[in-house]
This record gives sequence, structure tokens and C-alpha cells, in this order.
Amino acid sequence: MNNTDLVKKSLQKRYLKERIFKTMGFVSIATAILFLLILLTDIIGKALPAFSQTNIELQVELSEEQLGINANSSEDDIRNADYRKVIREALLGLFPDVTKRKEKRELYSLTSMGAEFQLRDTVIENPEFLGTTQTINFLADDDVAGVVKGNIDRNLPESDRRVKNQKLGWIETLEANGQINTTFNWQFFSSGDSREPEMAGIKGAILGSFFTLLVTLALSFPIAVAAAIYLEEFAPKNRFIDFIEININNLAAVPSIVFGLLGLAVFINFFSMPRSAPVVGGIVLSLMTLPTIIIASRSAIKAVPPSLREAALGLGASKMQTVFHHVLPAALPGILTGTIIGMAQALGETAPLLMIGMVAFIVDIPQSVVDPSTVLPIQVFLWADSPERGFLEKTSAAIMVLLFFLIAMNAIAIYLRKKFEKKW
Amino acid sequence: MKISALIFLVLLFAAFSYFMARQKITTAYRQHKSKHKILTLPKYFGYVAALCSLLPALLVLLFLQIVEEPYINSEISTFISASNIEANQDLDLYLNEIKGADTPEKVAALSEEKQMVYQRYHEIEQTTARTISVVVLAISILLAIWGLRKININTPARKVFEKIIEGILLLAASIAIMTTVGIVFSVLFESTRFFGEVPILSFMFGTEWSPQTAIRADQVGSSAAFGAVPLFVGTMLISFIALLVSVPLGLMSAIYLSEYASRSIRSVAKPVLEILAGIPTVVYGFFAALTVAPFIRGLGESMGLSVASESALAAGLVMGIMIIPFVSSLSDDVLSAVPQSLREGSLGLGATRSETIVKVLIPAALPGIVGGVLLAASRAIGETMIVVMAAGLAANLTVNPLEAVTTVTVQIVTLLTGDQEFDSAKTLAAFALGLMLFITTLILNVIALHVVRKYREQYE
Amino acid sequence: MNEAVMNELAEPIMKKSSGPETEESLNIEYGETVGQPFCEQAKIKTKNVNVFYADNQAIHDISLDIGSHEVIALIGPSGCGKSTYLRTLNRMNDTIDICRVEGQILLDDEDIYHKKQDPVLLRARVGMVFQKPNPFPKSIYDNVAYGPRIHGLTRNKAELDDLVEASLTKAGLFDEVKDRLHAPGTGLSGGQQQRLCIARTIAVQPEVILMDEPASALDPIATAKIEELINELKENFTIVIVTHSMQQAARVSQRTAYFHMGRLIEVGDTDQIFTNPAHELTEKYITGRFG
Repeated sequence: MNNTDLVKKSLQKRYLKERIFKTMGFVSIATAILFLLILLTDIIGKALPAFSQTNIELQVELSEEQLGINANSSEDDIRNADYRKVIREALLGLFPDVTKRKEKRELYSLTSMGAEFQLRDTVIENPEFLGTTQTINFLADDDVAGVVKGNIDRNLPESDRRVKNQKLGWIETLEANGQINTTFNWQFFSSGDSREPEMAGIKGAILGSFFTLLVTLALSFPIAVAAAIYLEEFAPKNRFIDFIEININNLAAVPSIVFGLLGLAVFINFFSMPRSAPVVGGIVLSLMTLPTIIIASRSAIKAVPPSLREAALGLGASKMQTVFHHVLPAALPGILTGTIIGMAQALGETAPLLMIGMVAFIVDIPQSVVDPSTVLPIQVFLWADSPERGFLEKTSAAIMVLLFFLIAMNAIAIYLRKKFEKKW
Repeated sequence: MKISALIFLVLLFAAFSYFMARQKITTAYRQHKSKHKILTLPKYFGYVAALCSLLPALLVLLFLQIVEEPYINSEISTFISASNIEANQDLDLYLNEIKGADTPEKVAALSEEKQMVYQRYHEIEQTTARTISVVVLAISILLAIWGLRKININTPARKVFEKIIEGILLLAASIAIMTTVGIVFSVLFESTRFFGEVPILSFMFGTEWSPQTAIRADQVGSSAAFGAVPLFVGTMLISFIALLVSVPLGLMSAIYLSEYASRSIRSVAKPVLEILAGIPTVVYGFFAALTVAPFIRGLGESMGLSVASESALAAGLVMGIMIIPFVSSLSDDVLSAVPQSLREGSLGLGATRSETIVKVLIPAALPGIVGGVLLAASRAIGETMIVVMAAGLAANLTVNPLEAVTTVTVQIVTLLTGDQEFDSAKTLAAFALGLMLFITTLILNVIALHVVRKYREQYE
Repeated sequence: MNEAVMNELAEPIMKKSSGPETEESLNIEYGETVGQPFCEQAKIKTKNVNVFYADNQAIHDISLDIGSHEVIALIGPSGCGKSTYLRTLNRMNDTIDICRVEGQILLDDEDIYHKKQDPVLLRARVGMVFQKPNPFPKSIYDNVAYGPRIHGLTRNKAELDDLVEASLTKAGLFDEVKDRLHAPGTGLSGGQQQRLCIARTIAVQPEVILMDEPASALDPIATAKIEELINELKENFTIVIVTHSMQQAARVSQRTAYFHMGRLIEVGDTDQIFTNPAHELTEKYITGRFG
């Protein structure tokens, strides 16, 4: 038939278009998958070195005369003794031919700035070491670690290399003597931030995030649930309620940095709340996550079948009793899932916290919600900004820790949803 | 009295009146023995009595706390001007210095004059604190007693209690409004101060942006340039690149997943999109700055192009990838709202799948898709961390994606994270930028939400 | 055949689909199709067709010929599989993942389920009109021009204009809409929308038109117009119409097929089916005992 032939004629071209279209779709989704793979391998690859710690084993002579203390000295005296010199002498003992001042300074920089405190703490713990010679593992400087881990290429010409030939020679001698070893980097999880990459840890940021989220949860969960209950169960149909709903939907799409401006202008400047404190961060983040949790809670409440409400009302329960005794417990899994997702969102949020000063360099580990502190994503931001090569791996490692917490939270949310999912 | 102790006492009185009221009603029930009617549980009377003293006390306490600081400040200023002390510096700074003296050493370090002010400051502070405690406790006790006397078995306790709870619920729902009002006020207030120093027109249409020179006090607003056009252009350039990446990829991903993908592909792709959506923006920023930007730079150089190390292209690309899941899930919602009958109508005429999608589904879903794109644009414009880490700081008026540009959000962050004093034109400029950002995204969001809602209603 | 055997035969079917009819059905034997399911000049031949939705069998072993240029009505109680059967004729069931078709369906002696057979070409030859009017959210003109455009049936704008006008005229809609061809098709009344959908279908000039209860969503006046239209269309097209209205079947069709619980019970001339049904079930349905 004429018409059939016409259609047949067009078919080849049309199927080509169909295939092209389908391929475009596949390529799109493949791009997204590929990007995620590259991102994750890039970050994990960069992060792995951060989990090992390079040490230099040194024999230090803890002579009582030189330190000017003995086992009976007061703790203050022991604390204030000059341990730096002891370590320096140990290093000089290994390489006695180093005499020039400049070279000496290079030599001394083999160990971390923290080595003397390490030694001090060891002596305070073990006063009986005084007067003896001990073999102690000292934290190596990040340059040494870079060479040992291969981050700094030994084969580069000297002019392009961060670690010069002489220092490289020392490191290789130490390696040959078996005085360089690597251990798992527990310190990364047990200490706060530092200017020295090899000493910087993430505990302060983790606790800061914890305190911030604690405040966020304490504020946003009750308020969001109350708001959701009101809007779903009690709200009359009027302009005011419409206005509330428009506000909630709009706030969900307001850029997070604007919440930071709100926090800065209202809480820090107007109410004079402390800068850099988790309590302010928590308030700002809870305002930001409220819409998310309200929207999730409302759909959970909406999913509770009317028959349950009718059953309770039929027994003479008041509207309030019905809601709190029956509807809310039934909707709780959905509400919790929404809350966890909101918390995960808050955990990854950075920009509003920059505005309220949580970006300061803070070494001390926060003990409460009013101590100055930073949070995980800001720690990532701070380290990413640092010029030292050693911070690159720290940044990636911090990202891994952050992603770990996020995945854990989402896994809990998925588990809750699966476990309590009810088909009404 | 410390505020925590004060709150504890107020709570204690509330608890006390709860038990007293419950006791009173239980006893009254026993005496009446009216078995024929269902009685309100005694605990509701307790709740009402407790809330009767607790709520007013806490509200008054909150109010007094808010006005305390401004009151002390004004009192101390009056004292300063009354005693003819010459505050030859900014009053705020002067007060901060005095309030900051929290150790005896610091107090001793103050000048004699300031020590006098310090004394006075402490007197005022103590009297105020004492007044607050007395007022709050008095309200708490008096209302507790009044409530206990008033309450009897004829009080509709459950109804009153439920009304109060409903009020609290309404208050919680209204926080959304308060937040919006808070945002509007904070950006608007500081912005008007900024526009007092820099004319709004030169801010909106000026093409030179160099706030850095404003640090010196004698130069405020005079030689620093606050022309925001380069920032607007930079923001739009990066957002445009991001949309150029995310809209086609997101839309096509959604179409592929819902129309073509096998179950196994779907089971991989959906979680991937969810993970992409869940990755914090700071991670994208790190990746953009340290991996993508150098890669693009290298690529450009191998082709003989000069690419800035903080090119708009790198930031825009990564931001585009970040928005893919957002666009994809919005498009998915919108496309699945198109009735199945349209799909069948087209297939029934012998259209191929792609013809059905391109010629029927997408045109039918267009308003929804446009709404989604507007929301995505609003997100791209407001995105901060990727551009802070991967875009430039210098304001370049260019639309070349290979050059470094800066954005509104980047400038807000750089202006506010330094250690400037808060009132300089420089910091105020950040709020003016924030105002622009808020207005732009607000308009985009409202239009988008409206369009999407109208679209949904059409097919319901 | 004794009762026990009969029950055994009927049982599995009862389990699968619980229709409104119960005890009566239990006593009925589903034998061979009664009447004349085959005809001389068949346009479509279906042989032993079974259709499954996942594990549920919706169509049991149906063999039926559809003659060239005839109007055949498929009737039966709801859920009897008549729509499912209709949708197998142009492979609209392909869009449902869990649907599986067995048996042979021949269009002009070509197997339409053959691997090489192209559903797109098939649907251009076997058009379909749906239960609910489903105009695209485009202009009236674009709705009708959609098929010719995607299939490349016309060479230029003038030809397309002519084709659109001719199709609308055939569908009896042209006079009503000629002044607003570029107004959205969704703005028409329900009956007009359905005639637009018919115009859209005939614009592709198919050989067969499948109609799935085309008037069920319309008021009586609009229904009358559609029926009138079907009577005119039968000059040029073979029409298979599913309907739940026996009066409609009687008015528009030459042959009628009665479906029951996924089986084809009886086929015959429409007059004969409605005046003198051969099968007990058909008679019960015609006389309104169930359905």
C-alpha cells in the first residue's frame, strides 16, 4: 500500500533518531556515574596517605644535668625543661658532620614541631626515664612524611623539589638504618587542628559538628513536628495559613548563605551571642533544616489513614488526643526519616557557618555548645585553603570522614523507612 | 541571680502548682461523687495551673533578656555624657572594652576614667539583673497562687489546655514567617545603611568592584568602588555554565531512567544520583579547585588556549554536575505527572518512544520543566562553597568562561570572614549583596513554585 | 459430563478473576467458540491467542478473524478481556512490562508479533482510539498533523493542510473548528475531543481502527455523533470496537463477538447474536442477567 510504503520509507531515519536519543539518555546517566566514580577515587586516593603516620626513631639521652631536673622535681619544673635541645642533640649525634647554622636548622626540621611536647609528655608520665637513654618514636615533619610516602618525588631535579638533596640524604640514611617507620595515624582522630600538617587532627571538628547538630536537632525536631501537626491537623483554611505554607516552601529554596547573614545580623550582632559557637551554628542550621523536616513530617502525617483518626474520635477522644496518641506514633518513622535526612543536610552545610565565624582557626577541642569550634565541612574548607602539601591528604581524609557520617546517617534513614514502612 | 537558676525556680513553681491543682481537683471529685458524668482527668487541671504560671513568666523573662542589653547600653551612655567623659572613640568600641574587662588584671589596666565607667557599668548590670529576677519570680509566684485559687471542677481544663497547646503549635508553624521576616529585616536594615554611604545606582550599575581600599577609615565610601555589575555578570556566567551542564544531563537522565533503563541500570543509577545529591558542596568545591580546574587548565594549554587557574568553566562544570540530581528528580516528578493516556495516544498513532517523548511528553510537561529550571537557576545563583573554593576573587567584567570571575556569594564570604569592624562600608556591602541575592532567588522561587503548582493542578 | 468435572474446569478461572457473576458461571462449560469466528476475506487473523499479566492469564485461547471493511463489536462483562484483546492487535500491550502474548496474530497474513515486525509501522497501519479522549496539549491542527508529520506522509505544508482538513471533515469536526484550528485541542468539549482523536487517527490513514469504548465518557448526543461517524468510516476502514453498550454494538456493527472471563464465547452476525444467541452465556448477558 502506498501509505505503508511511505511510513516504511521514513522508518530507517526515525529509528536512527530513536537510537541517538536513547544513547543520549544513557550517556547522560553514565556521565553522572562516571563523575561520581572519578570524584570518589580521586578523594580516596588522596586521602589514604593521611591515615598513616611517619615517625623517626631517635635515641635521646635524658641527662638530669642537662635538663636541670630529676625524678623528684616538681611537675612544673619537669614541664618547663628544655626538651628541644635533647632532641636536637640526638639528631646531631646521628649526623655529626653538620656544623653550619643553616644546615643545622634544616637537620632539626626533620622531626615535627610537636616532637618536644611528645618527649615532655613521655617524661612526665615516666619520670624514671630521667638519667637514662631511651629510644623513642618521634613524629616526623610533613616534608619527611611526604618523601617517605612518595608524595614528594625523589627523582625530580633538586631545583624543583621541596626537599633538597642534603635533607633527602639524611632521610635516606635514616631509612637505611631502619629508624623511619610508619604507624596508623591515631592522632588524626584524637587531636584538634594545628598549623603543622603532621599534627593536625579532626577530633575538634567532629565534636564541633556533634555539638552543632545537637543544638539543631533539639530545636528543629520539636518545632518542625509541632508545625507539621498544626498545618496538617488543625490549620483552618485562610490567608494566614497560606502565607505560612508559601514561606515554608520558599525558605526551602533560599540560598543557605542568606541564613548565615541572618545569623550574623540577628544572633551575633543583635543578641550578642558568642561568635564561632556551636549554639549559634545550631540555631542557624535549624532554621535552615526546618522546611525539610516540616515537609517530610507533613507527608508522613498525611499518609496516616483517616480510619485511624475516626476510630479514636469515635471513642470520644478529643482532636488533640487523637493526634498525639494515634496519628503521631503512626507517622513517627516517616518523621524520623525526614529528620535524619535534614540532619545530614545540616552536617554537610558550610556557607552559613562561615558567616557566623565558625571559620576561625581553633586548636582546642570544644567541650560544650558555647566553646568556639569549627565543624567538619569547615575543617575541609580550611585545610583545602592551606598551602602546605601535607594538608592536601588531610583535607581528603576529612572529606572521607564527613562522607562516612553522611552515608551512615542516610543508611539509618533508609533502614528506618524499610523497617517501618507500612502499607495502609 | 544566674539565668539558669531563675529558670529552674520558675519550673519548680510550675511543678508545684501542677501537683497542688491536681490534688485540689482529686479531692473535689471525691467530695462530689457525681458518678453519672464523665470527668475531665485531674492531670489536665494540673497542666493548666502549671502553664498559667510558667508561660507568662518565661515570656516576660525572654522579653526582659532581649531589652536588657540595649537598656544597659543606653544607661551607661547617659552616664558617660552626664559625667563629661570624652569618649574620643566609637561608643560601641568603648563599651566593648569596658565589658571585656572580666578579670581583675584587665580592670586594673583600664584608665582611671574607664574604671569609673566600669564601676558604674557593674552597678547598673547588677541592679538590672536583680530587677529581672524579682519581676520574673513575682509573676511566677503570683500567677501560680492566682491559678490555684481560680481553678475548680467547673473549669473546662482539657479544653483550655488543648487551646494552649494549639497556640503553641501555631507558634511553631509561624516560625517560618518569623525566619523570613528576620532575613528580610537583617539584610534590609544593613543594606539601607550601606546605601546611605554608597548610592544605590552606583552599586547596581557600577562596573568597578574593589572594596579592599575601604579599610582605611578616612576613605570609607569615597575611593572604594562598589559597582556590583562584574559580580552579577560573574554569577550569571557561572550559573549559566552550570545550567548548560545540568539541564540537558538531568533531563535526559530522568527520561532515560523512566522510559528506557532496564531494572539493573536503574538500581545503579538511582543511588548514584542520590549520593551526588547528598555530597556536601564543600567537597565539590575541593574537587573543582584541586582536580577539575588544573585539568581544564592543562587541557586548554595543550590546545594553545590560556586558561585561568580559577576559571569560571571549572566552577560552572562542577556546579552543573552537582545540580544534575536536582534537575533530574524535578523532571522525573513533572514527567510522571503527564497522564498515561497521552503517551498511549501517541504510541497508538505509531510514534516511536523518542517521538512521543520529544513531541508530546516534553511539550506537555514544559511548564513544569521550566519551573524546575528556574529552581535550579536559583540554586546555582545561591551556591556558595564551590565558587568560594574554585572561582576567583578579583572582579573581572568578562563573559569568557576561561577567565576567572567572581560571584556575589564569593564576595559576601570574603567581605565577612575577615577581621573587619562590622560597620565599615565593606561589611555592609556584603548585606547589600545578600539583599540582591535574596530578592533574585525569591523571585525565581516564587515564580517556579507557582508555575509548578499550576502545572500539577492541570493534570489532577 | 458430570458436575464434578465441570467444577474442576471452572475452578481455576474463578480463583484468578473474581467477577461479579458466580454460581451461574460455575455450571457453564467453556467449550469451543460458538458461531462463525472465521471469515473469507480476513484482514486480521488471530489464532490461539493467550495473554498473561505476569502469572495471571487474561486471555484464553482466542481464535477470531476480523474481516476486511467490516465493523466488529467486542462485547462482554467488564474484566472479560475484550480491551486486552483489542490492545494485542496493535501491540499496545508492549508498553506494559509484565504483559506476555502467545499465539499468532496475522495482519494481511503477516505475523505482527514476529521479531522483524515493527510495532511503529504496525501502529501506523492499525490505529487506535481510546476510552477517554486524550488530545495532546497542542492546537487542533497540530493534533491532527502529528501522525502525518512523524510518519512523513506529506511532502509540503499545502498537502498537510489538505490532509488535516480532510481528516477533520471525515471526523465531522471541521465545520465546528475551522475558525480555531490553532486553538488548543484540550479546549474542546468531550465529544469534540473524541472526534478530534478519531480525526488524528484517520489522518495517518490506517487500514484498521481499534476503538476502546470510544463513547463511554460522552453524553448521549456526543455518543450519537460518534456512532454516526463510525457508520461513515466503515466505507474506508476495518473497525474493531469494544463497547459495554449492547445497543451501541447493535447500531454500529455487522458482526459481534461475545467475551466472557477471558474467553471468546460466541461470534456471529450482530442481528443473530442479539435476537437468537446460540450460547447460554451470551443469552444471559444479552438479557441482562449479568454484566
